[in-house]
Amino acid sequence: MANRVAIQKTVRHVKPLISQNNQEARSRVFGLYKAWYRQIPYIVMDYDIPKSVEQCRAKLREKFEENRHVKDIRVIDALVIKGQQELKETVNIWKQKHHLMSQYFKETQEPKPKDFLSKFLAGQ
Amino acid sequence: MFSFRIIRSASAAITGNVVRRATSLKVDPSQKKSLSDFGKYVADCMPKYVQKVQISSGNELEILIAPEGVVPVLQFLKDHHNAQFAVVSDITAIDVPSRHYRFELIYNLLSLRYNSRIRVKTYTDELTPVDSCVEVFKGANWYEREIWDMYGVFFSNHPDLRRILTDYGFEGHPFRKDFPLSGYVEVRYDDEAKRVVVEPVELAQEFRKFDLESPWEQFPAHRSKPAAEDVAIDK
Amino acid sequence: MASLMFRTVRSISQKAPHRQLSVASARLASDLPAKSAPSAAQVPGTITVEGWEDLSAINGHPAEELVTRRVRVYQPAKNAMQSGTHKYHNWVLEFDTQERWENPLMGWASTGDPLSNVQVEFATKEEAIEFCEKNGWDWSVDIKTPVKPRVKSYGANFSWNKNTRTSTK
Repeated sequence: MANRVAIQKTVRHVKPLISQNNQEARSRVFGLYKAWYRQIPYIVMDYDIPKSVEQCRAKLREKFEENRHVKDIRVIDALVIKGQQELKETVNIWKQKHHLMSQYFKETQEPKPKDFLSKFLAGQ
Repeated sequence: MFSFRIIRSASAAITGNVVRRATSLKVDPSQKKSLSDFGKYVADCMPKYVQKVQISSGNELEILIAPEGVVPVLQFLKDHHNAQFAVVSDITAIDVPSRHYRFELIYNLLSLRYNSRIRVKTYTDELTPVDSCVEVFKGANWYEREIWDMYGVFFSNHPDLRRILTDYGFEGHPFRKDFPLSGYVEVRYDDEAKRVVVEPVELAQEFRKFDLESPWEQFPAHRSKPAAEDVAIDK
Repeated sequence: MASLMFRTVRSISQKAPHRQLSVASARLASDLPAKSAPSAAQVPGTITVEGWEDLSAINGHPAEELVTRRVRVYQPAKNAMQSGTHKYHNWVLEFDTQERWENPLMGWASTGDPLSNVQVEFATKEEAIEFCEKNGWDWSVDIKTPVKPRVKSYGANFSWNKNTRTSTK
């Protein structure tokens, strides 16, 4: 147990989640993005959310950009799997309006204070 | 074999001519022998996958296998004529963050034909997929979904892997040891938004930490006794 | 328990995908026997992964909790009221304390920090550190100063050759 320290784990052979190489993982990400992109008009219509298609697509882009830094193929795969499950839940209308609104557009949450003065005023 | 004259007594109960401790676990040596023989037989049949065979609590046979061997070993146990473990009574996992492979998967099987149970254990981590055993046991479908939802273990070739217990949009895997007891979000109805809103959790009263564990070792006399007895197998 | 604690703090440069090993963990690595290099022969059906395992994108913790939080890894100090030490061998992972406030109605200690009650136990500090690195938390390790047990004997108070009866003045 004790001889495993992160420095020794630089190159390893591991079982893939789905994708065998970077290109495959990349194409899965694009596939997922396109699937979401195409479904967004229907999602907006079905759920009757107070958002436009453009706003939703911007949000989609934002969500993908959040994980732009991820390089590990398996982590990318895991994210894609979770994204596909989300898409399925959304498109099949298993979710409700509030799931979409609170998961992606966190409007009722007050943003955390960032600069000194607002932190001070918030009592931090 | 079984006596229904159960006398509840703290000290001793007399059944027939034999005096037995009422509270002690009675282990049948012949049953234990047959279990360990069967364990050895499984290890002999599948030497590639079986890493260890042990008997815990005196009469529970456990087969510890490599994660690649989930489907073949379960298929073997189900279809072998002298085993017929055709019922998957439960599949679960435990999380031990200290381990290199932090999740341990546990398959509890039941053989109605031989009135016998067996436990198959394997291991994985957050990123290593495990083969789904739905092709072997149809009933494993929801159990595996549950493990995926609660621990985040990915099962490859699962026909319908999705959440089962958590709400849509829930993030995280609640049975992991590093997941907070309260969760990260709370849900309420917002009158202005006219819908349910999900917000970061705020505890009016924070959980207190009670340190109730004794600093003394509880059973030093039993330190050398392992929780499970190994069954010697040829490696 | 001695309050002097030797503290090793990891640098905050670990958010990069391919992290550089800080001095602290490099020292820890050098304490331990080196593992043999991965074999050249690759098992079929596997892929080659380089660099650190970074699970911060998929471990389910909100991003701000991963970025802003610092983790302390320590061995709990012995309870001063009892002499038993059996439960103090594990290394505990704990998050930094966030602000609490008093509940205006009941006077309770309220918190907005769900991670304040999370404590994860590990057998060694290396395991705890690896866990933090995989999950993308900044960590620091508090190493306990070993306590030297003092031999106490009543008879020594009356010994002719031991200088036990020292004046306090």
